[in-house]
Amino acid sequence: MEAYWSFTAKTAGSTLILPDGRCDIIFQLNVHKDQLPTPIITGPSTQPYTVECDYGDQWLGIRLRPHNGALLWKQKIGVAADTVARGNEALDLLPWLAELMASPITLDTMADKFESKTSTFNDQKLTSALDALHASGGRMRVATMASFVGCTARQLNRLFQSNIGLSTKTYAQLVQFHRTLNLVQHQQLKISSAANEGGYADQAHLTRAFQRFGGFTPSNIPKDLAIPELVA
Amino acid sequence: MKLGYTIIYVADVIATIEFYEKAFSMTRRFIHESKLYAELETGDTVLAFAGLEAAEMNGLAILPNDPSGPAAAWEICFVTDDVNAAFTLAVEQGCTPVSKPDEKPWKQTVSYVRDLNGCLVEIASPIASHD
Repeated sequence: MEAYWSFTAKTAGSTLILPDGRCDIIFQLNVHKDQLPTPIITGPSTQPYTVECDYGDQWLGIRLRPHNGALLWKQKIGVAADTVARGNEALDLLPWLAELMASPITLDTMADKFESKTSTFNDQKLTSALDALHASGGRMRVATMASFVGCTARQLNRLFQSNIGLSTKTYAQLVQFHRTLNLVQHQQLKISSAANEGGYADQAHLTRAFQRFGGFTPSNIPKDLAIPELVA
Repeated sequence: MKLGYTIIYVADVIATIEFYEKAFSMTRRFIHESKLYAELETGDTVLAFAGLEAAEMNGLAILPNDPSGPAAAWEICFVTDDVNAAFTLAVEQGCTPVSKPDEKPWKQTVSYVRDLNGCLVEIASPIASHD
């Protein structure tokens, strides 16, 4: 099931968004201003980015399951990583977003429209690989994952690239990062212990991953960081 | 402490419970409405199955059992007076045979199969007590 989310800014400011390899359909509006909502489609993210907001800015979003990225980007999924389509670019990708904009948008209307316009994903190899990858905290080797679902590593990588828009390795590294971040921040493991349990060769490798995917070191995790709950 | 549970993380909890009922004559005790956790009737020490998603939700990182690869380095062992019948049933119901019933020097009959998830299951006769 996809995740439906909303966020309303109570003050002006900025928010750090961590990458999670997923795509979102988002409408941006402002609760205090009478303006048309802006449709946004995000590609699978692999880098952190900051979103600036004004008082009253509101985002309504659908975070897609990782294997559904190609539903939005179609043939362009291979070049969609870390890109954002806004306004008309988003409507070109998903024309049915315009139907939503004819009336006030809510998470319910977005959910209903999304479900009516999308069909069930059928590739069991990819969903099984994602289940195994998530269960292993991103620590499963690509070759092992491929063998587990009954294909070659090259075939598996093609499935990842053509549906998620990322290589198997990059997606696994994201899962590994998020799990280890949780170990440090919420389980309060020592950084050296988290590196070991997270599957990093050493603390230096963990630090490099935190800088790459979070923009911070493990000893400088932003205090108000919101970590999404990621399951396959 | 005492051993309370053996929990095996599997891709499909319901399919596993149904398999154990057919292949090992087990009876289900409990299935959670989420279908991510279920228990068999195994007395004081519970044999349970949890979905792979449950591992991630608990912050664990596990290597899923793989029927096409070597078994993981643990087994569960069912004890029965009629190992031959139990082994035959298990294989008929879809277990992969690993070793046929064989009487060991310590007078225990031992056999091994792998279940639908590739887990190693021993089916053996009781050992005489160590008095």
